[in-house]
Amino acid sequence: MKPVRLVRAFMPLLIFLLVFVMMTGCAARKNVADNSLSDSTISNSSDMVSEPEDDFEDEFADDDPFDSEDEQAEESTSDPLYYWNVAMHHVNDKLYFWILKPTAKGYRAVAPEQMRTGVKNFFHNLGTPIRFANCVLQGKPEKASLEFCRFIVNSTAGVLGFMDIAAKNPDLAAPSSEDFGQTLGVYGLGNGVYIVWPVFGPSSLRDTVGMSADSVLNPTSYIDGTTAVGVNAFEKVNAISFRIGDYESLKDAAIDPYEAFRDAYIQYRKKQISE
Amino acid sequence: MKRSYNFTAIAIIFVFALTFAVPAISSATGDGPMSSLKKPVNELIDILKDPKYKDKSAKDAQSEKIWPLIKGIFDFTTISKGTLGKYRKKFDKARLATFTEEFTTLLGETYLKKIQGGYQNETVKYLTEKIKETKRGPRAQVKTMLVRGSIEIPVHYNMLKVDGNWRIYDVKVEGVSLVKNYRTQFQKFLMKKNPDQLIEKVKKKAESLKQSKTEKE
Repeated sequence: MKPVRLVRAFMPLLIFLLVFVMMTGCAARKNVADNSLSDSTISNSSDMVSEPEDDFEDEFADDDPFDSEDEQAEESTSDPLYYWNVAMHHVNDKLYFWILKPTAKGYRAVAPEQMRTGVKNFFHNLGTPIRFANCVLQGKPEKASLEFCRFIVNSTAGVLGFMDIAAKNPDLAAPSSEDFGQTLGVYGLGNGVYIVWPVFGPSSLRDTVGMSADSVLNPTSYIDGTTAVGVNAFEKVNAISFRIGDYESLKDAAIDPYEAFRDAYIQYRKKQISE
Repeated sequence: MKRSYNFTAIAIIFVFALTFAVPAISSATGDGPMSSLKKPVNELIDILKDPKYKDKSAKDAQSEKIWPLIKGIFDFTTISKGTLGKYRKKFDKARLATFTEEFTTLLGETYLKKIQGGYQNETVKYLTEKIKETKRGPRAQVKTMLVRGSIEIPVHYNMLKVDGNWRIYDVKVEGVSLVKNYRTQFQKFLMKKNPDQLIEKVKKKAESLKQSKTEKE
């Protein structure tokens, strides 16, 4: 696989996707209007008991000091691919419980934490070009130079990135990660439709475009064939080995796991974009 | 690729978020929001580490110790109302009370059991506290970092004052709000079903969790 050639081949598709994202962005806005409509029908229904002097009436409304613009927009991210998404949500769920979790558990049992942390650091270090480029694209020169310094220090003194030596200096602690999906978000693009990919998990149209663009800068995408699958799988299992149980926590807590993950993804990306 | 891992991260450790905030009984009036968190959190970690609760048969005694403390610092009334959002208006007083009760049980069932079984020597770093005056009284946001080995998870607590004590009305883990996450689920449910059905659903969910937990033991 040669991602550069691949991306070039798919450029028209990417452009189409971008346009589509923008259009669905408008659709999402229309949804907001729809929502407010259904809102009024709710408040009109007669069997409702009006709440007397509720102090917290608007606790989560728009003017909450810590929640200001959070409300409306994100809750109406459109989901026209609902049936596909639910199916993929189940596929990923099985993939996790049948394959990833047992593998990660076994791996955690044999690989000491120090080694797993090293592997995690190594892959994080490899991702520097993506984060650096996106810092630049988002006009964050300080963050970009921080990424650059960390890369130099960790690739050398940190032995090819296995050790996060840089983080020993508080000024060089890892900043929040940037990617092209976030860059597009900073440019004002909305999520577009929500998409669940097999293996990769929750995403959106915007973030899918971002992911394919980022892969150009990801060294691991230049590995050939089955080795690439192996490397990516290893990276994934290693990452999961630190987080066994987290997925279950969210899933068990939800009355509607699909919606819970969808909402969590949208909220999480929104926070990342704001950083 | 990277993103999907981070997303697993979100895989919300409301568990810890919920349980690492426990009430300071002495937190009346004087204490600020952060110190009303600190004391009880330390207390909780002590209980979790206590070897006398290591045995499975002691878990019930342990939760009996933890649960009232949690109830003291979380404002479950406001949390429950928040999860209903605009649909709250469909609930009359009695239903709202029942819902609050059932939803509180569900949260307890999920998170308390989870943290009791899965404490991984997490520690908490306290970062900042911010207080704002609003039309509806003071609101605070306390930012903390949950540290699990080499992994750090940002956890933010939104708090308000109830009878002079700071209480939590929302928890954000990696930017994901607990209240909003449930609200999305509940709103979708309530678009087609009525409040009684939601109460029933929440109740059933809590019961099934309880069942599966006891079966495992």
